[in-house]
Amino acid sequence: MNPKDILTGVELFEGLQPEEINTLAEACEERVYPLNEIITQQGEVGEELFIVYDGFVEVVRAGASPENAPRTIVHLGEGQIFGEMALVDRGPRSATVKAASDEAHLLVIKRENFDRICEKNHHIGYVVMRNIAADLSFKLRHHHLTGR
Amino acid sequence: MAATFKVSYVVAGEEHPGAILNTETRPRQGDLVRLGSDDFVVEEVIELIPPRGDFYYLHATVRPPDELT
Repeated sequence: MNPKDILTGVELFEGLQPEEINTLAEACEERVYPLNEIITQQGEVGEELFIVYDGFVEVVRAGASPENAPRTIVHLGEGQIFGEMALVDRGPRSATVKAASDEAHLLVIKRENFDRICEKNHHIGYVVMRNIAADLSFKLRHHHLTGR
Repeated sequence: MAATFKVSYVVAGEEHPGAILNTETRPRQGDLVRLGSDDFVVEEVIELIPPRGDFYYLHATVRPPDELT
């Protein structure tokens, strides 16, 4: 499957025209991570947005104090994004994310490419930012339902 | 584009973080789903928020299969 076909089924790009999805697909890089390999590390500077297109990743947050064990927040599967917080607010990664299936297949967009595309085409910027807000809202609702 | 179902899976009765993933078909009561490396049975499905475009937003409660036998 090519990146455009994958992006068409990702909520982050809902509302974009096919040629706009093409523009984003061209900026994507494909990566595969084996089970338990760390993809992002909590506290590090984040420069990339990730899209899961096959397999699962596990989102883990370290405790507030050293004696508190790391806690798994959620598993993310096909069609889900992560790394969006650092992309929007430029803060450090809020969690560690590692592969949670034999292989986790991801698409990756670097912030500099993402910013350049959004600056050039404000419709892409508006739609993607609205969808990032909707995705964060969905994750918050999931968090409330799990009580974690 | 065909409908896509974005599902928040919450595991009832055990310490599990649940999962979020897209599916091409609406999950139904009794379905077996794999979340990470574990299988679960769907107990209940509700609409979490209204659909937008071709995306439907669902919440599903699931349990480990051995709890149902």
